[in-house]
Amino acid sequence: MKRSRTTALLLMSAAPLLFTACQKEEQVQVQEGLYTSVQACTEATADPSACRNAFAAAQQQSADAAPKYADKAACEADYKPEQCVEQRTSAGTSFIGPMMMGFFMSQMMNSGRAGLAQQPAAASPAFQDKNAGWARAAPGGSGGLNTASGIGAGKAGLAPVTNQPNRATTASRAGFGSTSARRSGGSFGG
Amino acid sequence: MQRVRIAERPQWRARAEEAGFRFHTIDGQAYWDETAYYAFTLRQIEQDIEDPSAELHQMAMALVEEVVGSDTLMDRLAIPAHYRDWIADSWRQRQPHLYGRLDLAYDGTGPAKLYELNYDTPTSLFEASFFQWQWLEEQRNAGRLPAHADQFNALHEALVERFGELASRLPPPLYFSAVGSSQEDIGTVEYLRDCAAQANLHGEGIAVEDIGLSEDGRFTAVDDTVIGTLFKLYPLEDLMAEEFGRALPTSGLQLLEPAWKAVLSNKGILPLLWERHRGHPNLLESHFDDGSTLRAGWVRKPLFSREGANIEMHLADGTTQRSDGPYDGPAIIQQAHPLTRFEGGYPLIGSWVIGDQACGIGIREDDSAITRDTSRFVPHAIIDEAPTQIYV
Repeated sequence: MKRSRTTALLLMSAAPLLFTACQKEEQVQVQEGLYTSVQACTEATADPSACRNAFAAAQQQSADAAPKYADKAACEADYKPEQCVEQRTSAGTSFIGPMMMGFFMSQMMNSGRAGLAQQPAAASPAFQDKNAGWARAAPGGSGGLNTASGIGAGKAGLAPVTNQPNRATTASRAGFGSTSARRSGGSFGG
Repeated sequence: MQRVRIAERPQWRARAEEAGFRFHTIDGQAYWDETAYYAFTLRQIEQDIEDPSAELHQMAMALVEEVVGSDTLMDRLAIPAHYRDWIADSWRQRQPHLYGRLDLAYDGTGPAKLYELNYDTPTSLFEASFFQWQWLEEQRNAGRLPAHADQFNALHEALVERFGELASRLPPPLYFSAVGSSQEDIGTVEYLRDCAAQANLHGEGIAVEDIGLSEDGRFTAVDDTVIGTLFKLYPLEDLMAEEFGRALPTSGLQLLEPAWKAVLSNKGILPLLWERHRGHPNLLESHFDDGSTLRAGWVRKPLFSREGANIEMHLADGTTQRSDGPYDGPAIIQQAHPLTRFEGGYPLIGSWVIGDQACGIGIREDDSAITRDTSRFVPHAIIDEAPTQIYV
């Protein structure tokens, strides 16, 4: 047989993929920041208790989320030597990996609705590589824990971010796509 | 190879809607056309299409190695100097590729001839891989095709398998992008995202024009997440020419298709292939254009044209034909080898390579001998004669 035994679609038959940021919807505003200390967090948000809780929650996750290396040399290829220390996951596996260097905290903006402000802020650990790039655990892949031991996955389980610590990110957009704007036609492939 | 009329499935439009196939009709014109199909023998498929496709693919891949090591060849392909090291590095790092499509002129007789490679942004994949497959199943079940009818189309399985192989080789997070206003391209990208999800590789979608650039030169999604790998159904040469392009080499972004596809999506690959495999039965003679008047028996194509745009044909019988389009710049000339006319139009065979495996075809039929983005997609089947003799 020269054809697929079977075919299937998981996502396509559902609602079309939301493909553009231009379709702005009213949504709950979430503000996320990257902070290098509880103090910096407090200065930015004026919410010391949320910052303390976020720091503690991030620290609790940091060993599980950290990139994991089998030895110090491998860790030092990606991170500063003083950061690479022996750690233990919540499951008890020991590994060499970088310490948490900051934490993300995302808070619902208090839009006057009392219920929202009560929700605890979401927190996660942040890691900084030796090139000063910040990263967090990638969605669905916390530090490579999806593999049997996670060891050796290194930075593969992290998602880099552009957040600058202790302040908001600025980025420009729409620097791609100008050729398509000048052309008419259905497809830009071929 | 025959073109055979067949009754349409009464419910096919509903089936298309169910599957999220929204561009089956484009600007009121049929794009998916199942009022007929092309019937091949297994021998035609295997010997004339599958094997030559695999061989042409290998020849093309061997050329990448040569081109990325040569400034002279990069020059001939008009690849901008700013991007050459980045392209060469992407090849040396063996950044993985997903797919490509070889366009073949074939009418059932003689060797298939390579028109060009679509190795950066090939489209018409969903129709070939999924909807064509479903057509065969349903027409067999309805008794309109014989029970032994088959199809050269292992595309869906090959895509899911390939995404499974790519999962550990693409820096996360993965985003799938296309021009936000192109329904056809978004359909293709949605399908690929679906195939990836079936391999447990999950990615978000983003419009090409929504991609951001951070102050420290990294590419970002709408929520400022740094994009690790960008699948882009958007010409690489356009990305390089646009405002953000110069940031590509230092951004850390990995592309799918990878940067080295700049070598293969370029029509300059055709004269380079000819120079190295002169007289190969599946190649048409081809040279870089020196700008002189097009002689009878030759076709001129810009290095970067797509969708059959800006093609100039001067046939052996003296007639000329030309298609409009936005492309100019350096060009190649290729020996004219016009498509054969069947009842209904001129079919061109798109032969798909997933990873490095030739594993399926889709046929585009046009009213003219130049296949364009509006050419109709017509399904195919492999129908060998039922055995007339029983061997014991």
